[in-house]
Amino acid sequence: MTEAAEAEALTSAKAAADRLTKAKRLNALLTPLKDVRKSLLQQAAGAHPGGVLYGMPVAVKDNICTLEFTTSCGSKILEGYRSPFDATAITKLKAAGALIAGKTNCDEFAMGSSTEHSAYGRTLHPLDKTRVPGGSSGGSAALVAAGVVPAALGSETGGSVRQPASFCGIVGIKPTYARVSRYGLVAFGSSLDQIGVLGRSVHDAGRVLSAISGRDSKDATCEDRDPLRLPTVPESLQGFVIGVPREYFPADLDPGVRRACDRVIKVLRELGAVVREVSLPHTAFAVPCYYVIAPAEASSNLARYDGVRFGPRLGGQGADVRALYRATRGAGFGAEVRRRILVGTYVLSAGYYDAYYRKAQQVRALLAQDFRNVFDRGVDLLFTPTTPTPAFKAGEKLGDPVQMYLSDVFVCTANLTGLPAMSLPIGRVKGLPIGGQLIGKAFLEDEMLEAAYAMERAVPAVDEV
Amino acid sequence: MSVTREEVLRIAQLAELDVAEDALPALTEQMSRILEYVAQLAQVPAGDSARPFLAGPDAIRPRPDEVKPWPLAFGPPELAPAFKDGFFVVPRLGAFDGGEAGK
Repeated sequence: MTEAAEAEALTSAKAAADRLTKAKRLNALLTPLKDVRKSLLQQAAGAHPGGVLYGMPVAVKDNICTLEFTTSCGSKILEGYRSPFDATAITKLKAAGALIAGKTNCDEFAMGSSTEHSAYGRTLHPLDKTRVPGGSSGGSAALVAAGVVPAALGSETGGSVRQPASFCGIVGIKPTYARVSRYGLVAFGSSLDQIGVLGRSVHDAGRVLSAISGRDSKDATCEDRDPLRLPTVPESLQGFVIGVPREYFPADLDPGVRRACDRVIKVLRELGAVVREVSLPHTAFAVPCYYVIAPAEASSNLARYDGVRFGPRLGGQGADVRALYRATRGAGFGAEVRRRILVGTYVLSAGYYDAYYRKAQQVRALLAQDFRNVFDRGVDLLFTPTTPTPAFKAGEKLGDPVQMYLSDVFVCTANLTGLPAMSLPIGRVKGLPIGGQLIGKAFLEDEMLEAAYAMERAVPAVDEV
Repeated sequence: MSVTREEVLRIAQLAELDVAEDALPALTEQMSRILEYVAQLAQVPAGDSARPFLAGPDAIRPRPDEVKPWPLAFGPPELAPAFKDGFFVVPRLGAFDGGEAGK
């Protein structure tokens, strides 16, 4: 390593360490600040020189395993848990020279849309402390939006990167299912889960995604494919056909969100793209479909947390082993996780499996067919709002889980169908960011990023609409 | 589709989850609300007509069945709440529903 490069990495680490106090005010970081500061400086000294992310601090959602810091998944049931291995995405980040800037707050086990369901308190929206930053990757989104780090890892099961990216006015990318290894991502819904990236710009998010993508012998569900190659910034969008699905623009869409999207559609046309209205007829059933499949998979995946192999024992000592399981799980899981485990157990139980789980799988197939039909008719990308409203008030939706779930109505389809999708800021309403979503064809993230680069240059992201 | 308090307790037992008595009314109400909401899936005239959706690569390759060196930075003695002589230590296996499973 040259002295100049080493000095640069150290400067970057020190600057990130200095900005960390903002993270504390937002309750966005779960790792103690002194531990992050110390680790950043140590990592900078040993970072991989010449890596494409050399010296770049990247914060990591607390459900992605790291050797350096504890991995609690925002849950009491894993309080103090230290993973004995790095997730593959972390190994790849380190190989690229990035510095791991601590673990970020999230909804417990990534179940939530507001980062209010963390055992360690809610994360605040960086622009309005009375509002939520979205979730479940709300800590990662808040840190990037507050300028603490240029990029952060999050995870998506039903929009948990794109929804907080939209609420916080930053870029969030969910790659195609199987693009990024999930080894070391704590499982929630295995047919849906993906590691995603939040960044302050398309380029920052894109280059982190490129670094973590590609084959991994430790994850059989990861495609045997080279890492993503980033496209160049295009001069225009000539040749692109962009579909606008009418089901994503319902009559009750927030007027500010609609205005921001209308402005983007105008800009896309000015950039040379052909914009065409399309239909995804089963969209209305995506949220109910998701809230059968995801809890069903969660009820199975979370069966391993029982106070035997890892994590603390929270009662039940001295009784029999099942009393230990029940006491540990009952005290260790928060309300939202308990609710989803119970719903998942219910829809998989004898007598209800066909009516709920099997039906949801059939609807999932229809949703995937909807997208195939549109892409087979010459559409390259879809453009939609990311969320129906800007960031909502803290506590506003806590009493009604279904209302909370509906904030994911435009994002969960990409998880159910495995497609790549991203959110980028397209304006503000009363000071609150609005996100626009691009959905691409499987493994064509490069096309999606090309359009995003053009949009980012042409759409004023922080102007009121 | 509403669920009763007793059904919630039965499901909680299947899920190995203690539910506090004072949390039951709200939990029963919220589960009923969620199940009523997702029941709208029944309106979709979906048979098995669409191609089933499979997440991930079409052909998942099984890993070679070979013994590899321990890949962890540290092992169960440092992870588990109770570990002794190569075994996880747990309370005795009590009577399971419908009969004794072991002592």
